[in-house]
Amino acid sequence: MAFILSEEFKARAAKICARYPRADAALIPLLLELQKEAGYVAEEGMDALAQLLELPYSRVKAVTTFYTMFKREPAGKYHLQVCRNISCHMAGAAGLLDGLKKKLAIEEGETTKDGIFTLSSVECLGACGSAPVMQVNEHYFENLNEEKLDALLEELKHGRLPRH
Amino acid sequence: MPKLTIDGKSIEVEKGTTLLAAAQQLGVYIPRYCYHPKLSISGNCRMCMVEVEKAPKLLTACSTEAAEGMIVSTTSDKVKAARRDVLEFLLINHPLDCPICDQAGECGLQDYYMDYSLAPSRFRMADKVRREKRRPVGPHLVLDKERCILCTRCVRFCSEVTKTSELEVMERADHSYIGLKEGKALDNGYSLNIADICPVGAFTSRDFRFKSRVWFLKKVPTVCLGCATGCLIEAHHNENIIYRLVPRPNPDTNTWLCDHGRLTYKSVQAGDRLSKGVIKNGLIDLEPALREVASRIDEARTSVAILGSPWLSIEDNAALARLAKDGVKTGSYCFDFNSEQGIKDGILINKDSAPNTSGVKAVGAAHGGIKLAELSRRITAGEIKLVLTEARAAGLIKQALKSAGTRLIVFAANRGEIPPDTYATLPYASYFETPGTFINYQGLRRRTEPPVKAPEGVKPLWAVVNKLAAYSGDSLRLESAEDALEGIELK
Amino acid sequence: MENILLKDNVADLEAYFASGGYRPLKKALSLKPAEIIDEVKKSNLRGRGGAGFPAGLKWSFIPKDAPGPRYLVCNADEGEPGTYKDRELIIKNPHALLEGMAIAGFAIGAGHGYIYIRGEFAAETELLDKAIAAARAKGFIGKNILGSGFDFEIFTHRGAGAYICGEETALLESLEGHKGQPRLKPPFPAVKGLFGCPTVMNNVETLAAIPAIIDKGGEWYASIGIGKSAGTKLFCVSGPVNKPGVYELPLGTPLMELIEKNCGGLKPGKKLKAVIPGGSSTPVLTASEAGAVNLDYESLAAAGSMLGSGAVIVIDDSQCMVKLLQVLARFYHHESCGQCTPCREGCGWIEKILNRFEAGAADEKEIDTLYSVADGMMGRTICPLADAMAMPVISFVKKFRAEFEAHARGETCGKGRGLEDQRTGGSALRSV
Repeated sequence: MAFILSEEFKARAAKICARYPRADAALIPLLLELQKEAGYVAEEGMDALAQLLELPYSRVKAVTTFYTMFKREPAGKYHLQVCRNISCHMAGAAGLLDGLKKKLAIEEGETTKDGIFTLSSVECLGACGSAPVMQVNEHYFENLNEEKLDALLEELKHGRLPRH
Repeated sequence: MPKLTIDGKSIEVEKGTTLLAAAQQLGVYIPRYCYHPKLSISGNCRMCMVEVEKAPKLLTACSTEAAEGMIVSTTSDKVKAARRDVLEFLLINHPLDCPICDQAGECGLQDYYMDYSLAPSRFRMADKVRREKRRPVGPHLVLDKERCILCTRCVRFCSEVTKTSELEVMERADHSYIGLKEGKALDNGYSLNIADICPVGAFTSRDFRFKSRVWFLKKVPTVCLGCATGCLIEAHHNENIIYRLVPRPNPDTNTWLCDHGRLTYKSVQAGDRLSKGVIKNGLIDLEPALREVASRIDEARTSVAILGSPWLSIEDNAALARLAKDGVKTGSYCFDFNSEQGIKDGILINKDSAPNTSGVKAVGAAHGGIKLAELSRRITAGEIKLVLTEARAAGLIKQALKSAGTRLIVFAANRGEIPPDTYATLPYASYFETPGTFINYQGLRRRTEPPVKAPEGVKPLWAVVNKLAAYSGDSLRLESAEDALEGIELK
Repeated sequence: MENILLKDNVADLEAYFASGGYRPLKKALSLKPAEIIDEVKKSNLRGRGGAGFPAGLKWSFIPKDAPGPRYLVCNADEGEPGTYKDRELIIKNPHALLEGMAIAGFAIGAGHGYIYIRGEFAAETELLDKAIAAARAKGFIGKNILGSGFDFEIFTHRGAGAYICGEETALLESLEGHKGQPRLKPPFPAVKGLFGCPTVMNNVETLAAIPAIIDKGGEWYASIGIGKSAGTKLFCVSGPVNKPGVYELPLGTPLMELIEKNCGGLKPGKKLKAVIPGGSSTPVLTASEAGAVNLDYESLAAAGSMLGSGAVIVIDDSQCMVKLLQVLARFYHHESCGQCTPCREGCGWIEKILNRFEAGAADEKEIDTLYSVADGMMGRTICPLADAMAMPVISFVKKFRAEFEAHARGETCGKGRGLEDQRTGGSALRSV
């Protein structure tokens, strides 16, 4: 099935491209937009963006694979990203991650069967003063401990992403 | 014009000259992987680092411009240590493939390891990064990602030379790799250059793979006859077999070589290479074939037409002219070819697919003859009973021949070249088998050097022509190729 | 003293304006660009991203007669582990950044400013976009700012997860829609930067300090701090202290004052073992070294480390230094852009050796291998990421060698995973 960018997406893309003297500078913002719509960046999406921006496919693929925020396959509804860098490590990130693996019965990089959770460990999220930190989709959850985590998981299971 | 010293030797260079180029002018070799004189500077391999007095760090010679008063060392302990370290880094994740790697013997890692390192490995085998191996990418190349040192020469070649941008470095850190679109072939008409510029065995030629170890190959400088561009090439051969053609970079014509030109050697080793004559589709020994052709020419005499060929050397065309004038004594001979010439793809491939259009003009200038259109007219008008020419040139008068029912006799090296309805075919030595002079689209005269011998009994075309004349009782006195050149002015 | 950057209740434009905000911009627009650059030079403000290069000098490198557009780029790709000050500043005082950018843009003759912000900071990007819209509505950015005839647009631009994009030229590559791979220098960005045009790039904190400098004068700013380390600096403290957080202090403040006074000391029962003073790439200090050093560029350099981004990572004696170094090695290995041979291959090699130390499977000779691999990376690459890996390795091994030796002997330190995983056939190599 051919992948077609929606007219709405193209209109948004044109606006983003207009911020730069060269349209291809918008490649990363547009990949982020694409991911926001589809949940991940599929090969067909890369092709479509390459065509839209008149770039070689290889450039789009290289950029997509270089940056870690681009997912290349569908993830669960909530992507739990546990920071494992030094400050979070000292604050018990490894235990947090192990706990999540047990609770969700998945390993890093896996998605629960019900499609709700994907678990990853990530590098420094830039919130080291409130370690340990976890990002759920684009939202930060800081100063975590086991109780807070349990409460959060409970909310998420019911489809509620707490905002602060 | 900055003046500097490199390893104690002074030199003055043009502004903008890099340290690597300045060193080269002095005959000082600086090792490099990612640097290529015809590609943009990348500076990633870090092999060319040199020490410059007052600079806090070592500098890459490929990217640092020479400046007034620089004192450069390419042999200091710091430089030696840096080279050793870079080689160690490149080798830790490199597979131990050398015994089965085509690059062995001309490998940048092997050579530099011997020249600049010789250090034992400190890396644990189990720690090596594994990558995809032996992936065919396109009709001409195989990619081994494990052997790759990520110098990006191939990436830059595809983006800067062919402008097709098939390749990119995907991912990052030590799991990065050269990649291209799934299911897409790397087939841009120049892809085999990638096997040449790859400093290791990551990209190898599917054609050359496992055919010969490179140290058995002998090298002959010759000329590509794939089109009117006339690229300088080197034929690599051993024991009468050609294994590959590679470009001989030169400022006049070519740095690279197209895939088509690179595989032109195949015809001399092809199954349909002619070593006998052909009469009406039947193979026949050379002597009877020659006699048959001679008697058909004798029959027709003044209604014989002889057509030169832009695919033949000047010598062979001149021999045909002599046959027309001094042997057969027909007025219907033609050395008039006009093809539009010039590079058609912005790289190397010429609009004129024949290698010697300009050379044939020189033969025409010396020996005269009629226009190609006039020859066609005479054939169509039934004035010509027999046409003698080279197989591919016969294609140029195809229409006229079809309408007239004229008897066609051709010279051909391969059976596949013979046009349908050809009465007789005589084999001749190709220019991988005999020397020949050609003039390329730039007007540059070039001579082929034969890397291999022609099949038993097969002679150069000028010699066949000489014999043909002799059978008819005419003497052209062609003892050598040079004899044929008499009276022809060459620049 | 009163904070210059980290202020409460100025996040909204109205509140910021009420506290005197955007007056410095008006003042700046009445000056000549060269006068602004002189003022910034006088202030001795140095780049707060990590390198500490004098900001005024950097601005003055823009060729005066270069035709065509110039660009200002704000580096908000806060990625150095331990660092979270720019995020705090963006949340608390976004208009100081925008005002600083408008002033800098005017000084260097730029018509566009881009804020390159790390991709994970989605909420902060939204916040900045709102602040930009508010400032544009009031005429502080956009066309003909405050009737001066000066046009200046600001756009946010999110990254997508690459530490290397904090490096100036990698950021430019990324901002142009490429992989974040650092460029060869020269040419320097001041001559050939974004889209091939003269470009100045400053950190969030550097730019946010500009309005106060214009308001109160360079001399005033230079009088804060000590010597060539002028002004205040944001220090972001992490690790087992009672009150981790971002603190704005004059440069030259003793490190222990920050830890003891501002952060309330280490948590009960914890004893100071080491401090990484300027972000994860800066050489580690032992507790006694930390006790004797002040937080300024020169003091930290004299102590063999760096002020860096001001990210103070406090390490207590329950931590295993081998394990911590392994965590850092895993990070740098993960973040190497893969361009230069020594970094691409060296970072992975170092992580693999450390994985063996952690698993109790290394031998003692490998301590020297670690050291020499790091040494082989130092100063040999296009950008400083290789150094950022090598410096912690060299300093950890030098200062805490006994812990590495213990691991090599197969003694579990009880702090990392040690030999236990090996004996039980666990997956230490994979799980760490």
